[in-house]
Amino acid sequence: MRKRRLRGVDCDANYQLNIEDALACADHDVVVFVDAARGLRRPFRFGRLEPAAGMPAMSHALGPAQVLALAAALYDMKPEAWLLGIRGHSFAVGEGLTARGESDLGLALEFLEAFLKGERP
Amino acid sequence: MGKKITIEPVTRVEGHGKVTIRLDDAGRVTESRFHVVEFRGFERFVQGRPYWEAPVLVQRLCGICPVSHHLAAAKAMDVVVGTGPGKLPVTAEKMRRLMHYGQMFQSHALHFFHLASPDFLLGLDADPAVRNVIGIIGLDKGLATQAVLMRKFGQEIILATAGKKVHGTGAIPGGINKNLAPEERDRFLKSPDGLTVDRMIEWARAAIELFKGYHAKNKDLVDGFAAFPSNHLSLVRKDGALDFYHGVLRAVDADGRKVLGDVDYQDYLSYIGEETRAWSYMKFPYLRSLGKAAGWYRVGPLARLNTCDYIPSPLAQKEFEAYKAYTDGKPNNMSLHTHWARLIELLHAAEVIKELLLDKDLQGGKLVRTGRRAPEGVGLIEAPRGTLFHHYRVSADDQITMANLIVSTTNNNESMNRAVDWVARNVISGRPEITEGMLNRVEVAIRAYDPCLSCATHALGRMPLEVTLVDAAGRVRQRKVR
Repeated sequence: MRKRRLRGVDCDANYQLNIEDALACADHDVVVFVDAARGLRRPFRFGRLEPAAGMPAMSHALGPAQVLALAAALYDMKPEAWLLGIRGHSFAVGEGLTARGESDLGLALEFLEAFLKGERP
Repeated sequence: MGKKITIEPVTRVEGHGKVTIRLDDAGRVTESRFHVVEFRGFERFVQGRPYWEAPVLVQRLCGICPVSHHLAAAKAMDVVVGTGPGKLPVTAEKMRRLMHYGQMFQSHALHFFHLASPDFLLGLDADPAVRNVIGIIGLDKGLATQAVLMRKFGQEIILATAGKKVHGTGAIPGGINKNLAPEERDRFLKSPDGLTVDRMIEWARAAIELFKGYHAKNKDLVDGFAAFPSNHLSLVRKDGALDFYHGVLRAVDADGRKVLGDVDYQDYLSYIGEETRAWSYMKFPYLRSLGKAAGWYRVGPLARLNTCDYIPSPLAQKEFEAYKAYTDGKPNNMSLHTHWARLIELLHAAEVIKELLLDKDLQGGKLVRTGRRAPEGVGLIEAPRGTLFHHYRVSADDQITMANLIVSTTNNNESMNRAVDWVARNVISGRPEITEGMLNRVEVAIRAYDPCLSCATHALGRMPLEVTLVDAAGRVRQRKVR
């Protein structure tokens, strides 16, 4: 998506979400969290996200909804937020994308580009 | 290629914390255990892989300290390519140090402010719904904002040195693949948004004062909670200084006597054994010289400040002197003082980052050196949670044939069990019901060690800690899952 150089769109990649991502969310009007997903019947799933009502008691990682809750609590910002889950087929360490994974990713990216250019589901 | 083995889950070491407490007929604790279902598949995963892939692959072991695994594997592979300790180009070693101290800074800041401070600032018995970072925001928004920016600063250092935040490729066998551009350096020294290394030093000092203030008001808790004698192990620089990146292996006992004297870690198998116990997948390392029963040890901030002779940065050294004076120079065996030690290390990390940023060697052009190939290599590093061991054997055709990893959390296995047992006997024993506050005290004891088990729960976003109370007849009396 970064290579597509969409105007007004910033891309970031994290191993896992954490507290500083709240700052990144607060700096943007629309946030789309993207990750591989297990068990999907379709190539991808796209849905709205709301800030979480609670926070984990003991964790080094946060979920997207918890990052949004932090952005709201710390910076009084509540960006329009979405979750894009792309169907994963194989999660072997050190392996590249499978052909089916590549295909699903392509469909998801086309959808996401249209969304970021203003199309709304 | 070696045999391909499919093991799930695949993206990291799997972990699951489980505490079992057994009671007699009178409700007294007879046994407590902290079990870990630790998935050690990575040692198999890397077999058959080319050796140069290891520093990238092993970062998937852990979501919070991938840099530590990256560098430990790179250090082991330095030995394999004939560029062992002291032979790296100076720019490569200093870039790696900057990456590592950035990692140490962000990890320690995250742990103290995000995970530990809610217990201190909101109370061990506070409502769990607010005993978290949101509660800290409600209490002191400025402090919470600082925590975010400290973590961000450390992550930016990692980005500048490793090339990217995820699966960085900075360290390669025999060196590093980039130096630090002047504009990258200047961003940390005089950033227009104020996110500078001087600001980080200032905030680290303030964090120490925050802890000291809490300690002054809560001495019985901070000094007494889960305090027990132990051995302590870490790397130290050859002259005895604190060093997170490299050194010799040293261990002291609870009274400060050296029980492992500054040995070369390439020979770690001669000094460290690993015991297995039927009830936990996580091994129990021990010092061979003291045997399985007496040779267990702590690693991490508390251990490091017990093994080192001094800290080679002025502000942290001053804090170290006050810290050591509190125990009259003797080793500190108080579990909650781990937080104090962690914050002194936070300050030290910030000071070293500044020192490195001002060092022109980081703009050097010689990045890689190789020498005579060796069939195996060991890489040790002081990860945020303690000493991390990586050991590999490599075939003549460049494939990894054996990997042995002893992660920091494994090194603290016995210590965490002892801490849980302390809580069971001193807080829970004789009381028929587990209250939420008691459950939290079990977590507080474990949390002092900042274990990486939680990294295994990325998908759930929380550490699944389960506490089970079992009566004398073996019936489950109560069970709490978080």
